[in-house]
Amino acid sequence: MINNEIAYDIIKVRISQMMVNQFYKEKKFQIPIHLAFGHETIAVALDRVMEETDKLLLSHRNIAFNLARSKNIKQILNEYFLKEDSLCNGKLGSMNLMNLTKGIIYTSSILGNNFSVAIGVALSQKIKTEKGITIVLGGDGSMEEGSFHESLLMAKSLKLPCLIIIENNEWSMATKINERRCDVDLEKFSSAYGIKYVKLFGNNPIQYIENLTTLREYAIKNNEPVCIEFDVTTLGDWIMKHDDYPNGKFINYHAGPAPEVDLETCPAVIKTSIQDPVYALKEIIDESEIIKLSETIRSEIKREIS
Amino acid sequence: MKYLEFINQKIRDTVLLPEKLVLFGQNIGAGSCLGGLTRNLKIQENSMLINSTNTENSLCGLGFGLMMNNVSSIFFMKQLDFLLLGIDHLVNTYNIIRNNHQTNSSFTIMPIIMDNGFQGPQSSHNNFGDFCSIARIQGYTITNKFDAEKIIDSKLIDSGFRIIGVSQRLFQTELIEPEKLIYTSDDLSVFQYSDGGDVTIVCFNFSFPYGYELAEKLSDQNIKHSLFNVNSPTIADWRKIIDSIRKTKKIIIIDDSKSTNLNYHMLLSELSGEIQLEKKIIITKKLSNNWLNPIDDQLSVNYDSIIENLMK
Repeated sequence: MINNEIAYDIIKVRISQMMVNQFYKEKKFQIPIHLAFGHETIAVALDRVMEETDKLLLSHRNIAFNLARSKNIKQILNEYFLKEDSLCNGKLGSMNLMNLTKGIIYTSSILGNNFSVAIGVALSQKIKTEKGITIVLGGDGSMEEGSFHESLLMAKSLKLPCLIIIENNEWSMATKINERRCDVDLEKFSSAYGIKYVKLFGNNPIQYIENLTTLREYAIKNNEPVCIEFDVTTLGDWIMKHDDYPNGKFINYHAGPAPEVDLETCPAVIKTSIQDPVYALKEIIDESEIIKLSETIRSEIKREIS
Repeated sequence: MKYLEFINQKIRDTVLLPEKLVLFGQNIGAGSCLGGLTRNLKIQENSMLINSTNTENSLCGLGFGLMMNNVSSIFFMKQLDFLLLGIDHLVNTYNIIRNNHQTNSSFTIMPIIMDNGFQGPQSSHNNFGDFCSIARIQGYTITNKFDAEKIIDSKLIDSGFRIIGVSQRLFQTELIEPEKLIYTSDDLSVFQYSDGGDVTIVCFNFSFPYGYELAEKLSDQNIKHSLFNVNSPTIADWRKIIDSIRKTKKIIIIDDSKSTNLNYHMLLSELSGEIQLEKKIIITKKLSNNWLNPIDDQLSVNYDSIIENLMK
């Protein structure tokens, strides 16, 4: 039963994004949006692990986390449409979208900016002796910023319980990780600061929830930060027709609409591999159930926004 | 009493009582304690004093993060130039907070403005106003006993974010205690110390000691002056100053800032077309070719020449 509930949440985040993508393809937005197809399992797992007093700090690619936390596409869509009766009164748009009532205390579109703010939030929780923990997310691009290093140093030095999460999708806009930099062993890097490091991959939500729960408790019990690296594939890439490329040119998805992702696809799978969180649900529920949930949720979302 | 001693005492008095207050910065409780600025700070048991890491960018983020979850803090900074590393937070993080967070907590950055000139090339940027104007941040300079009392008492810990600058050049000078304080604007951007009808003196940045000395010399010559200090490096309530100039028609502006974007330009812009000035004397930095070198950065003021000019 719990597996079905988790699958429901993951597929809902997926189809909600497909709906946003559909509006995007129809050029309904004035603001830039970074879709997060492929990040659904991490988002739902974090949502399940977070306690009411926890604080979450996100980056520009925050849509999956906002959807997982709010469970309400309409208020997010209204924010994207910059309507006053929306999540943040149309003041924040997409790249800075927060949800204070759901613990999303800060979201920054500036790469690496949110790490140090998270250290401040974690320190505030310590001073106020709050029970919660601070969780901050960035990508493999943001960990190249100096503030990432500074923030690990400060988190460890100040003995702050927090989860510092890197979603490593191996891309920074149109540049693959091995095209732009030397390899960085984040485990060794964390170890240099005496910070516990764990790598998670495979998109099994049950495992993600169990691991995150354990690591959250570890951080609180030991008053120290934990660095978690998720292997993630941001889906939505496509092959563009191009005179210089007879077989077409591969376009990695970064922002904007994903042209080949179709709202009506059922089940709501984009890639038939475990890199796709919806496809990976086959590990915890039957494929027929994924199809059924996809149909149900699509209808629910259409009703919600109609 | 020295300028530094007085400010240190005011800070000590202010941070002593608040609960759950965080004071942070490099060496604020070690060594010379920022040349004495943060010496002997005592705080409540549930507050924190952090001799921080050398991570200026992240320390700015830290302050804003504390603020978001309703904890007040003060970031004492050895040198204004270090704040260059934190500009992302001064702009982007602060903009998000003031656009979307309901917080009653306080975040103050108190940098020492290294304005004696002998720091060399890195001090060439020391212009407080530039930092404040980058994101319309409220800033305050401290120049004498009255403004130190008012600004530290009401702004060092107060809802919101601001930068309060202190002058290293003035650290070991005797604290100026003007005879009286006639007027203070509600936003503490303008202080008035005398109200005479012959000439209006307006001081900017940390130039008040020059203006104060000039005022004393004018009094000796029986010239009645209105002495103002503009403590905000970017936004100021000009009304009282303009009222005074309307009467005197004579203005002496003193500004020891290094920026090319000077606050007194705003005042002159406000005056233009409204008041026909009989006399306008502007004393400001003359940046020579060696302005990047370690040199004495005192403003050169020829008081006798100014008085002679006024009496013409």
